[in-house]
Amino acid sequence: MKTFKEVMLIFVMSLVIGLIVNKVNPKGIPLIRDDKGRFEVDSSAVKENSGEKQEKVLTKEGFVKPQNIPVETAKKLFDEKVIFIDGREPNEFNEGHIQGAINIPYKEFFALSAEEKLKMMGNIDKEATIVSYCGGGECEISIDNAYEMAKIGYNDLKIYLGGYLEWTAKGYPVTK
Amino acid sequence: MKKIISNKYFLILLRLIVGGLFIYASLDKLYHQEEFSKAIYNYKFLPEIFINIFAIIIPYLELISGIFLVLGIFKRGSSFVITALLFVFIIALTQAYFRGLDISCGCFSLETVSEKSDILQRIIEDILLIISSIIIYTQSLKHNNTIKEKENE
Repeated sequence: MKTFKEVMLIFVMSLVIGLIVNKVNPKGIPLIRDDKGRFEVDSSAVKENSGEKQEKVLTKEGFVKPQNIPVETAKKLFDEKVIFIDGREPNEFNEGHIQGAINIPYKEFFALSAEEKLKMMGNIDKEATIVSYCGGGECEISIDNAYEMAKIGYNDLKIYLGGYLEWTAKGYPVTK
Repeated sequence: MKKIISNKYFLILLRLIVGGLFIYASLDKLYHQEEFSKAIYNYKFLPEIFINIFAIIIPYLELISGIFLVLGIFKRGSSFVITALLFVFIIALTQAYFRGLDISCGCFSLETVSEKSDILQRIIEDILLIISSIIIYTQSLKHNNTIKEKENE
């Protein structure tokens, strides 16, 4: 019985402090995680494909929301010599990647400070269009990497969800 | 063996180690809540609506129980909470291990990258910790009983 009382005390303390701190903290998280649409191609990307120019969407944190794009858009951007960033680990990257892509491993990148991140991005212009991709399939680091880059001020991020898997299946140019 | 387990200094040492580790493990999670929520998501273990509530409460459960354990107050409750948490962690890690999920375990630091061997190491560490916290819990029960017995005499 004493155990139960103590457990309840710890639990209630954690709940109350957790909720209050989360509410006050500017870096607090929503009570329910929202992953809806994470893997869906943005309808705006499809419209843009048909030539219609779209306004940029801001997230509630105030940075430009990366846009999920289908393979056709990725290929079109590739032909326009847009920068491709591969978020996988260097060993996977070296086994094969989209031709001309730059390797920025997410696992290394996300742990850096904003200044270090900018340094790692090198001389890429903040207004440049960047396509973030990874292995494809269930791989999510294309999304995570793009958001990390958007947070430090890159304004035109695209997420190519199909990734390396779909790209090679289409027979598009790769470097091995 | 029994003597060691019920040795006062051994128990204090155990409490400091387990409590200290839990305080340490909670701090990184408190600082990187969004990443911790992501780490829980990656375990593909919990329904989505519970993930963030867990991400908000778990670090404080760890921190508060850790502090209580180190200070030696509410020993029963805090060792019970820690045992329960470790039990959940072990199950989550084990299912991730067998399903071959690529997760960042989010155990001590959210930056640690997970390899399969890494997950196995975490499971072993957690098993050692759960044994320690069970010892603390059972000894604090016994300790209480002996006090009661003495009072009754």
